Amino acid sequence: MGETQSVEGRPLDDQELVEQARGGDARAYEALVRRYQDLAFRTAYVIAGRTADAEDAAQEGFVKAWYALSRFRAGAPFRPWLLAIVANEARNRRRTGRRQDDLALRVAEDRPSGDAAPSPEAAALATEQRRLLLAAVGRLGQADQQVITCRYFLELSEAEMASALGCRPGTVKSRLSRALERLRVVLAEQGGGPLPASKLRGGER
Amino acid sequence: MSQRELDLERALSDLGASLEFPPTPDLAAAVTARLGEAPATAPAGQRLRGWLGGLLRLPGWRRLAVAGMVAAVLAATVLVASPGTRQAVARRLGLRGVEVRIGEPPPPTASTRPSDRLELGLGERVTLEQARRRVAFPVLVPGAGALQRPSAVFVDQTVPEGGRVDLVYRAQPGLPASRFTDVGLLITQFRGQPTPEFIKKVTGMGLVEEVTVGGEPGYWFSGEPHFFTYRDAGGNLREEQTRLAGNTLIWQRGELTLRLEGEVSREEALRIAESMR
Repeated sequence: MGETQSVEGRPLDDQELVEQARGGDARAYEALVRRYQDLAFRTAYVIAGRTADAEDAAQEGFVKAWYALSRFRAGAPFRPWLLAIVANEARNRRRTGRRQDDLALRVAEDRPSGDAAPSPEAAALATEQRRLLLAAVGRLGQADQQVITCRYFLELSEAEMASALGCRPGTVKSRLSRALERLRVVLAEQGGGPLPASKLRGGER
Repeated sequence: MSQRELDLERALSDLGASLEFPPTPDLAAAVTARLGEAPATAPAGQRLRGWLGGLLRLPGWRRLAVAGMVAAVLAATVLVASPGTRQAVARRLGLRGVEVRIGEPPPPTASTRPSDRLELGLGERVTLEQARRRVAFPVLVPGAGALQRPSAVFVDQTVPEGGRVDLVYRAQPGLPASRFTDVGLLITQFRGQPTPEFIKKVTGMGLVEEVTVGGEPGYWFSGEPHFFTYRDAGGNLREEQTRLAGNTLIWQRGELTLRLEGEVSREEALRIAESMR
């Protein structure tokens, strides 16, 4: 991996890798793909709604981004640019791919870690609360689900959310707050409402 | 922000941290295997013509039989030769002389950028006064400050219906250089030909927005780069690699069709467009 490491041996940052890839270095680009394949695939999955389409979109997006590198503005952040291309691929597949399957996201069993490990009962409670919250998100409309997923599950920045959702950066905030408002309504109907985060974590912290 | 809102947001972040997405396939291997696909030997121009020819032969592609000049904006990323992606969608906007195609992008080309010498292959370089005498329509310039004096003016008199004028502005403070041309701003104007039919709505592309400029229709293109081509006097589609465009506003002003390209925000573009006199 000589080309993708700096002389000091630290991993190269995005800009350095992009610069090398622009010069035709496929290994530098491969390092970028490895760095962002999770994010690209998951973003595509959120938009296209099916794993096969998401894989297709993410792969296509990476290939297109490679050929578009000569037009990538040096110094600009790579992530939002890549996400815009991948998300566009995902949207194209959603349109032609008929109906969208429900996102099959799962809540992992709570894995106790470190000194804040909750009791088994608390862990079970936390897992159950997360399932309820996820179920509530699943009852929202597609657009609301996407904006919430991009923000809280993929942890995208506002600029990246705008890229992924194909909207103006200025509208991201209002879309998100409307989605949260509707989520609150669903949670109230579901009974109980959202629990404070401390309870979701098992009340140990 | 209320405590209730913070609690919900915190609960969602907590949920996100414990979510399992479907496993990510090994994209790196698949992607790198495809990086050698595109032809690397043909000269750029040839490859481009090949691509445009391919686009015109695609099923469902409705070729325009419009005489004279047709400006086309193509959503452009890169060519990928896999059959599954060979889709092209034509969108006719309600603008004279303008057509938008959203489809297979052109192949990669050597990154030859026009230099900052403002040579964009736009026609003959003239003064603004000369341009006004040579074309058959009143030439509009932005009414605001420094933009009243373009860095360079070009005229192409071979364009039907009175020619075409391009105003070119050097990159300057507040007007960053384009990703594609090193130029700060490019404003093109010509008399567009009426198109026989209109499709006003462009939906779902995420890259094209309808706007109004001085009460007349316009479109704002942003996000991915677009490609700009037009029909020359002989009716041939002419592509200009040098005119790969970033953010672009296209709008109508009376008989004129105008196009503004640069690294400006939508609001800034609209402001400049509205100011043109």
